[in-house]
Amino acid sequence: MSTMNSGTSSGMSGSRDSAPRDGARRSKFGRFGARRREAIPEEPLDYKNVAYLAKFVSANGRIQSRKRTGFSGQNQRALASAIKHARLIGLMPFVGRI
Amino acid sequence: MQRKRTYECMCLLDNREVRKGWQPLKDAVTAQFTKHGASILSSRRWDERRLAYPIRAQHRGTYLLVYFSADTQAVAGIRRDLHFNESLLRYLLLDCPEVPQAAYEPEADFDVNAIPADDAPPPPPPPPPAPEAEAPAEPVTES
Repeated sequence: MSTMNSGTSSGMSGSRDSAPRDGARRSKFGRFGARRREAIPEEPLDYKNVAYLAKFVSANGRIQSRKRTGFSGQNQRALASAIKHARLIGLMPFVGRI
Repeated sequence: MQRKRTYECMCLLDNREVRKGWQPLKDAVTAQFTKHGASILSSRRWDERRLAYPIRAQHRGTYLLVYFSADTQAVAGIRRDLHFNESLLRYLLLDCPEVPQAAYEPEADFDVNAIPADDAPPPPPPPPPAPEAEAPAEPVTES
């Protein structure tokens, strides 16, 4: 399990698995801090647009994470809301693929 | 304080009611909005399709998409009436800041007799035929 604690242990400094320094935040974009390009939805994130929403659902029906979709926070929230609305009205399944 | 807002309501209608007549059913549903002082901006059939999961033992349903403007105070009453309407399998009422232009296009002709008839779940498979009684073995004759 990766640790997010501040680096208080000694003897591990310099190793790859060393914890970040006090107050430092581990980058979520990789070791070298390369920024990912933000994905932009090609179609509107609407609950009626079921064919497009189905691309962001796993085989078990789970909504893909931001890491996979690459969406901004705003678009990811819109995606989650649209999928949940589509599920409620019977357009998408709660479990499994269409 | 009352304030007018625009809403979008997607109604999932029971196909058994749709077959009895599309226009009377549509009028009955839209009347539930106007009863609370809402003004209907657009009301048209969205689609008839197979549901992702059975709802009240129905595997298909007809979607009616209604855009209306109403007081914010009236929405609770509209929701309550929709909830008690037995022709509706589900409804989804959302705030809609802008009505799409496609909503104002005339509704396409809809033949209720063209709805596929697989509303009900498929019947269970027939039981396997009982194994036939084997013919009595011929008596072994002693030689």
